[in-house]
Amino acid sequence: MGFGRYVTARVLWAGVVSLIITTITFLLVSAAPNPSVQEAATQAALQGGDPAEAAERARELRGLDQPLYVRYMDFIESVYTFDWGWSRSRSQPVTEALGQGLYYTAQYSVPWTVLTVLIGPLVGVYSAANMYSWKDHAATGFAFFGYAIPNFFFGIILLLIFGVWLEVIPVVYNTDVAVFSVQNAVQLSIPVFVLVTGSIGAVMRVSRNESAEFQNAEFMKTAKAKGVSPLRAYAYHVMRPTLVPLSTTLVGQLLALFLGSSLLVEVVFGIPGIGRVTYNALIAQDTNLLLGSTLAFTFIAVIGNLLEDLVFTVLDPRISYDDR
Amino acid sequence: MATPLLEVEDLKTTFSTDNGDLTAVDGIDFAVDEGETVCIVGESGSGKTVATESITRIVKEPPGRVEGTVRFKGRDLLSMSEEELRQIRGNGIAHIFQNPQEAMNHCYTVGWQIAEALQIHQDVPDKKARARAVDLLDRVGIANASTRFDDYPHEFSGGQKQRVMIAMALVSDPDLLIADEPTTALDVTVQAQILKLLDELQDEFDMGILFVTHDLGVVAQIADRIVVMYAGKVMERGGVLDIFEHPAHPYTQQLLNCVPEIGGNEGGIPGTLPNPHDPPDGCRFAPRCSYAEQTCRTGGQPEELDVSPGQRVSCIHYRDGRDPSLLRENAPGVESGSNGVSSADD
Amino acid sequence: MATQKPERFDQVDWTEISRSRWFDLSINSIGMLAAALPLLIVALYDWQVLDERTPTLEPVGPAWDVGTVDYLFIFTLLLFAFYIVLPLFQNPRRTKYYWREFKRNRPAVVSLGWLAVVFVGGIFGPFFISAPEQSILTGYQPPVFLSVEQSYVSTCVGEVVNNQCQGTWQHPLGTTAGGKDVFSGIVHGMTISMQIGFITTTIVATIGITFGTVSAYAGGWADELMMRFVDIVLSFPTLLMFLLILYIYGAGLGMFIVVFAAFAWGGTARYVRSKSLSISEEEFIKANRISGASTYRVVRRHVVPNAASSIITQLTLLIPGFLLAEAQLAFLGLGDSTIPSWGQLISAGRSDLSFAPWIVLAPGIVLFLTILAFNFLGDALLDALNPEAEAENA
Repeated sequence: MGFGRYVTARVLWAGVVSLIITTITFLLVSAAPNPSVQEAATQAALQGGDPAEAAERARELRGLDQPLYVRYMDFIESVYTFDWGWSRSRSQPVTEALGQGLYYTAQYSVPWTVLTVLIGPLVGVYSAANMYSWKDHAATGFAFFGYAIPNFFFGIILLLIFGVWLEVIPVVYNTDVAVFSVQNAVQLSIPVFVLVTGSIGAVMRVSRNESAEFQNAEFMKTAKAKGVSPLRAYAYHVMRPTLVPLSTTLVGQLLALFLGSSLLVEVVFGIPGIGRVTYNALIAQDTNLLLGSTLAFTFIAVIGNLLEDLVFTVLDPRISYDDR
Repeated sequence: MATPLLEVEDLKTTFSTDNGDLTAVDGIDFAVDEGETVCIVGESGSGKTVATESITRIVKEPPGRVEGTVRFKGRDLLSMSEEELRQIRGNGIAHIFQNPQEAMNHCYTVGWQIAEALQIHQDVPDKKARARAVDLLDRVGIANASTRFDDYPHEFSGGQKQRVMIAMALVSDPDLLIADEPTTALDVTVQAQILKLLDELQDEFDMGILFVTHDLGVVAQIADRIVVMYAGKVMERGGVLDIFEHPAHPYTQQLLNCVPEIGGNEGGIPGTLPNPHDPPDGCRFAPRCSYAEQTCRTGGQPEELDVSPGQRVSCIHYRDGRDPSLLRENAPGVESGSNGVSSADD
Repeated sequence: MATQKPERFDQVDWTEISRSRWFDLSINSIGMLAAALPLLIVALYDWQVLDERTPTLEPVGPAWDVGTVDYLFIFTLLLFAFYIVLPLFQNPRRTKYYWREFKRNRPAVVSLGWLAVVFVGGIFGPFFISAPEQSILTGYQPPVFLSVEQSYVSTCVGEVVNNQCQGTWQHPLGTTAGGKDVFSGIVHGMTISMQIGFITTTIVATIGITFGTVSAYAGGWADELMMRFVDIVLSFPTLLMFLLILYIYGAGLGMFIVVFAAFAWGGTARYVRSKSLSISEEEFIKANRISGASTYRVVRRHVVPNAASSIITQLTLLIPGFLLAEAQLAFLGLGDSTIPSWGQLISAGRSDLSFAPWIVLAPGIVLFLTILAFNFLGDALLDALNPEAEAENA
């Protein structure tokens, strides 16, 4: 099987996974009593009408009287055509609300990802090259610290120190500043730092342990015998093979943090990103919006896992595409 | 006589380990002339590999520590800085290793790795480096060299990989090629092809070869001169014919005995190598030598003595006033006349 | 160092094991049954006979209403005692050996000590330290040795020096805005954390081991299908799914544990499957199969003991994720507000951070240390399992 066919197969599989998760979401929602139907019934009862009849009408209005499979087909169709409905709490289409959230989420996610990808492997390989020195121990200590400290807790503490006591950063995120401005960089610095600390630990550990193996490999001796300088040997001959196992950790780690902690970090720092949109939808009981953001995160997760697979295959020339 | 291409004097390599120092190579001398092939022979663990890796100091330092003198074209390599030494590695002295599977980085194409070896030493544009690499791949016998350039190591067979390694070594036109058991991991037919290739390339590139092996069949095919090593010391040295016909040291005799085609004794040499942390007094081979006497077990390794022009041996039985003929009873060279050598020459 | 091959959980006494039949129960299983049956009876009695508002143990004394999570917790504790702790006593020589090996990794020893504190505190603490109670008048008491401006505190329990309310031993870690004692909150939070840790890992191990071995032994398309299913489970955004469930149905601690455990067993299943496949290749299993051993027996006697150390490591590294998730949800105000978890405490103190930081800091640091300890422990186990990676002795 060629690379093209492998990619096609993986993309198709990702489609299947997203369909399955979407289906589970549908089942979850349809198995629950619809709050708007109940609301209509309560309303009718309060006004002296027939609650059962009102509920029936409400159900009809929302197409709930149709058989499950018809509703399912409708649901799937609207999900994949991005017709995600109307957000009651924000008075705008769900996709638009999510798009706005994504705009703010991207502002800290991009620097966070870039920094993790750049710094993590470098520190890890440096640690391996100086294994068991104080530098290695310091890096290991930092890795464990970042790994273990709950992001939201760390965020609160830093916000207290830099926002409340030192007043270096604003306590509440200011959406009025331009994206590429010093102010924006300053107010995003702490959230980015918190997230980088959280994601970099695992990346550092994996690159340290993997590159420790490669720096003693036979091909390093070949490189030395060829006259390759130590810096070049690390940059090319150790770093490159380390990236193969690292790619899995890297994408997985970023994804896990993105799906979990970014929501917390946005709440702590008051960033109106997609995590905050989800949170607000939950608080405001905005079913459409909550469903929309769940789907958005699901698709991000599926795409992330797909990327992880593809990156891994591209990085490791030894992978045969027949394997899966 | 002109200065040799490579002159090694009193080379000593020590590793510091948790259990104390370990001397893998304990003061050895040898030389390689231009265009000549010198074989270092000995059992596994006798320090051959460490000796060759100490020449350009590619042995890991620390824990390793290299002492002595290594002169390459008259310049002392061991007193050079890392920087200067890097100019020699791959450029003046190239290496090929025992296990071609692992000697190449699995993440880069073979062409990239060959070109890297060239471009480190010479400011060559990518296109020219590629052309040169393709030429060499073709020369070492890789079919469709220009397309194979872009293949990864795992797409080559073991023999082909060793050919690629040879191409990589030759890309900067070295004067000396150090080949550390380059055929051991390959099967016999491929082994013969690689040896033949090295032989042809030696003339073509006019280089000296320092060849490490434990396989005396291989030695017979390619060596001009032989250095026999045991437990970090040189036991015997000389021209290939002299040693095959008249092995002087009991160790060499036993080693030759182990080659099935020559001596017929397949059992190997009884006993094991001494503990490198605590080598025996006297001759290193004494504990396993059937001719050892009390004198063999005291002092240091015996001095090297001339037995014939160019052949020297480190054994007390060749001292003045002693009768070395008693050692020759079991020597394969004597018993079977010149058969041993001629059969190995086939 | 490498001269001696380290002994592990893996290395089991094969002769002893092959002697036993699977119907003659070991002392461990007898003990487990003996303890679990009364528990089951009490649970049934609680469920069927007592009405909802009567605390379970009222007839005997303490007013402790045992809930579903508590029953599960006690059950998993019994499992832990009979299948992990008791075997350590049954084979003291091996235990001594583990301990000697383990002692060399100092961070891991400290971590184990800390987890022991959390464990003991979580199980016995609630019997000695009463649950934190609301008492608005004594809100914002500072921790002992610290002080806070008098204006923040309505009634200072300790002395007031220079208009500063001093902390007292009565509230060693201070109190929250509602006057709840932070220290007792932390001790009761240990119980919650231990419940989460023990129950989730038991569920994950059960599903993971079952699924993995069934997949390995089924083979063919069933195996393929099951592993694809694991792929899906692993790419599930658990936290969001939980939010959705919480939104639609509402959710307490029990639901949290079930949902998170239900999406965390993918890695264990994958591992157990590959281990089963490699073990089923080995000669002794073949011999066993020929002699008519059931698949259950092979799994119970060979696969599980051989994979035990790796499974334990994996589970150790999973627990911090669950603890973190619970704390995050509690912090967002979406957790089970009826339980005194660390996350609830952190969340409670958030708005008073600038003048009463102890409410957030104390439980936050405890949570951090616990997660750190699990990570160190997991890392040490990982090192011990991988003979090539030298254990870090620093």
